[in-house]
Order: sequence, then C-alpha cells, then structure tokens
Amino acid sequence: MGKITLYGVDASPPVRACKLTLAALGLPYDYVVVNLMGKENLSEAYLKKNPQHTVPMLEDDGACIWDSHAIICYLVSKYAKDDSLYPKDLLKRAVVDQRLHFESGVMFANALRSITAPIFMHGSKMVPKERIQAIIEVYDFLETFLKDHDYIAGDHLTIADFSVVSAVTSLPVFLEIDAAKYVKLTAWIKRLEKLPYYSENSVGVQQFFGLIKSLGVTVEA
Amino acid sequence: MGKITLYGFDASPPLRAVKLTLAALELPYDFVVVNLMEREHLSEAYLKKNPQHTVPMLEDDGACIWDSHAIICYLVSKYAKDDSLYPKDLLKRAVVDQRLHFESGVMFANALRSITAPLIIHGLKVVPKERIQAITEVYDFLENFLKDHDYIAGDHLTIADFSVVTTVSSLPAFVEIDAAKYVKLTAWIKRLEKLPYYSENSVGVQQFFGFIKKCNLTLEA
Repeated sequence: MGKITLYGVDASPPVRACKLTLAALGLPYDYVVVNLMGKENLSEAYLKKNPQHTVPMLEDDGACIWDSHAIICYLVSKYAKDDSLYPKDLLKRAVVDQRLHFESGVMFANALRSITAPIFMHGSKMVPKERIQAIIEVYDFLETFLKDHDYIAGDHLTIADFSVVSAVTSLPVFLEIDAAKYVKLTAWIKRLEKLPYYSENSVGVQQFFGLIKSLGVTVEA
Repeated sequence: MGKITLYGFDASPPLRAVKLTLAALELPYDFVVVNLMEREHLSEAYLKKNPQHTVPMLEDDGACIWDSHAIICYLVSKYAKDDSLYPKDLLKRAVVDQRLHFESGVMFANALRSITAPLIIHGLKVVPKERIQAITEVYDFLENFLKDHDYIAGDHLTIADFSVVTTVSSLPAFVEIDAAKYVKLTAWIKRLEKLPYYSENSVGVQQFFGFIKKCNLTLEA
C-alpha cells in the first residue's frame, strides 16, 4: 500500500467526511493542513494537483483526487474488506449516489457554501432569510429520507452517512435542528455520534462553529 | 430486460443528461412528461416514488431511482457493453465522479438553480451580480479541466460529458460563452454536438432558452 496524504482543514465538512471514511477503514495517512485564509490552496503547487483549488484533496501513491464524494467512493472501492460502506448492488448504490449528490448540491452548495462564501470572501456579516429557508429544506428532506430507515441511504451505515452528517452537523450554527420537529434526524445524528471514530467529525464541527461565531455573523430576522 | 420509464421534461438539463445516456446506450424507454407548473411532481403518486420530488426520475422494472447522476451511473453499470462511459478503473472513475459532483454543486445548484428557483418561485426580475460571477466561475473551471484533454474527464467520452454539457449549454441563457476567451470549452461543445444523438440535448436547450426569454430578465450591471 502506497502512502495516503489528506489535505484540508478540520472545520471543512467535506474534509471531515473523508476523515470519517479513513477512520472507518482503519487506514493510516498523513494529514496536511491547507491554510485557506492564507490562500495556500491557490499556490502553484496546489493548483497543479487540484485546479479547482478546493479541500479536501487526497494523494494516494502520487495520484491526486479531489471532491470529497469522489475520494470516499475511491477509498472504499480500493481498500474496504467488503462493500457495505458503498454497496456494489446497483439499486443500493443508486440510493447512496443520490444521497451523495444531494449533499453536493442541496446541502453543501445551496445551504452551506451559499452562506460561507460571502462570509469568508466578502466579509458578509448577515445571513439573508432565503438562506435560512435553504437550510430548512435540507432538514425537511433528511427527515423524510430517514422516515423508514436507521441510516441515510437505507438500513446500514454507508459513506452517504459520513458525507451528509458532516454537513448537517455544521448547519446548526445558522439554524438549530429542532429536536421536536426533526425526530428521525436527531435520532440518526445521535446514532452516528456513537461511532468510535466520530470525533473525526465533532472536533471539526466545534472549530467551524467557533470560526463563524468569532466573525460576529447574525441571521436576518 | 424490464421496462424503463423516464420522468421529466426536456427543458431540464439533468433530464437531458439521462436522455443522452439512454441514447448512447441505445436503450428503449417510455417518457412521461412531468409538468412542474401544474405541480405534478408534488402529487401523492410521485412523492411516493421520489420524496425529493425532482426530475429526472427513472423507473426500471418497478424500482425508482432519482438524481440524474445516480441514474446515469446506474444505467451504464447495468446496461453498457463495456465500461468506457463510466470506467471501472478506480482513478479514472474518481475523475468522472469529481466532474459529476462538480456538476451537482458548482454548476447546477450554484450557477443554474440559484437563478431559476427564485425566478420560478418568486418571479425574480433582476439577476444579481453574484449569480453572473457563479456562471463565469463555471466557464473558467471547465476551460481549465479541458486544458489538456478532449473530453471533460479525460481522453474519452464519459457520462461526465453528458452531465456537464446539458447544464453548460443552458447557462448561455444568462451569460454567453465568449468563444475567444473559452477556446477549449467552445471546441468541446462543438465536439459533442457531432454526436449522432445530440438532439437529445439541443432540443431541450432551445426550450429552456425560450422559457427564459419570456421571463424578460435583466442582469444587474
């Protein structure tokens, strides 16, 4: 097995999805912190490996892969002892893939990055009402997906749980998850918190919360 | 082979990605138009099959799958004679997966739906500068991805080309693709236009353009 290096920051939800997956697979790796505020992701060296200059990025024996979803699918396919985290059954896989793309579009792009990009890039201090609606939409859909199942893509833990939980546990800094309204969602998060390696997410969640709070961001009433 | 039914409407870019894939695979299917304006996607019957109430949705022998990316990965995995459209090689697949997630997040959610949703739901009349910037960001990244390759995920046609071209050929409804600035992007679109089944995209693009023109939008200066 060649050397695995993960590039990122703990506050980043997609980085934490990779960390959860690496921990679930019991894989050793080097972790290189990429200082985004210091524009380290825009260095010539980083751009050569990842022209989209995002985190996380994974190097496996010299090959560079980015986008957290591509990374975690790759890691399970290459290193897992069985396919439970990313089923080979085509219909089960289609559900996991849909959840992963839901995370990319509806969660990360539309609910999270749409808020954090103006904050980090333009010093925005106020979260517009429309962005809160986008978060509610996420909580509503996840509650529905969990209606008849214990995990986000069915009856067993998959990488979809890692991807979705890293983002959904970051959103409460803008809008709390009402435990009385989102019963299944709350129970599912508690279920994942019991994973022995869950600190791979929780540590970074606290960092993300701390970062947003320290910037004095408020939500439009 | 059981019966395949595709639900959607031609103006929708992700719907067209599925149509391109079905055509590339030469698979027969029934097409059921879902009228979003009539809220057909919110009917009890539709919600039972797809609680996220989006298009496209595919029924294959009774099993329901949604999200265009999950659908096209499924179709190739199940029906293709070889893996060229969705390589089994893990590193090649990781590139296709990254491009597909790029389409979900950076393209569809952040550049397209961020305009069309407010337009359709709230009657948006002026497209904010940030949304124009989001489209420019897409064109810039795609130009970069195509720097050294003829196709979006490497040297051969894959489902990533289908997914990306449907959205990028729709974005000129808001911001034209400057052929002098985006040389590679323009050449790649022309390359795909030569596919014998490209009308599966171009017909719907014209419908999308027609719809947007009728909305009489202006761009924030």
